[in-house]
Amino acid sequence: MSNATFDIRRGASGEAVLAGRLDATQCDAALKFLNEIPDLRAIDLGALEYIASAGLRVMLLTQKRCKAAGAAVRLINVKPPVHDIFRYAGFDQIFEISAAG
Amino acid sequence: MKEHRITVRGDAANLPALTAFLQDFWSRAGLPAAAAATFELALEEVFMNVAMHGSRADAQPRVEVSLALVDGGVSLIIEDDGPAFDPLALAAPDVTASLESRPVGGLGVFLVRQMMDGVGYQRLGGCNQLRMTKHLPGNAGAGAGSADLSKRPGEMG
Repeated sequence: MSNATFDIRRGASGEAVLAGRLDATQCDAALKFLNEIPDLRAIDLGALEYIASAGLRVMLLTQKRCKAAGAAVRLINVKPPVHDIFRYAGFDQIFEISAAG
Repeated sequence: MKEHRITVRGDAANLPALTAFLQDFWSRAGLPAAAAATFELALEEVFMNVAMHGSRADAQPRVEVSLALVDGGVSLIIEDDGPAFDPLALAAPDVTASLESRPVGGLGVFLVRQMMDGVGYQRLGGCNQLRMTKHLPGNAGAGAGSADLSKRPGEMG
């Protein structure tokens, strides 16, 4: 449990870095940010504490956009609770997901 | 404080207040922190459904959220006075579909059903009532007091 708010930025290698809570109130901003990265290849979720279906929708729309543009996006450094949600949603079949080291 | 209750309008802008309400209950009750996300997710999914689909043209529904310690776990009850709607009657999404054919919605209630031990709907006195319960394992993580909820006194915090 965390009171963390949400933050999204570009990392040093061009990846998107998400942190905190991606709840329904943050999804429009997150999707807009991701849509403005044409060559997105990875999303770092190492500091993401919480996601629900509105956030899954953001990931799904982003993957659809990136795949249509020619290259899939990977989800990296995913923490166990968030990884569980991805598994429930069957996202392990449409994303390459790597766990937090 | 045995039960914890809040009432808000079914407006998406009220989600942060509900999350704060849940987190406050959780820490006062000394519940394992790692188990909170399941309830935060359930609260968000059900509330956002009501906020997005339960509003009439002229009015947002009134939504009442109650949390309580039950034998060995927590119950979350979400009641709204919007039009009759049973979210459990929705077909489960196909979580094995390919990316191209994967719909971008419909996962919320599915996730809640997967993560909770019990989910039940009833139409009660002109209100939709969704009741969710989940057992919390005593060794799930955080701190003293999380060992056995059934032995906790009625008063806490």
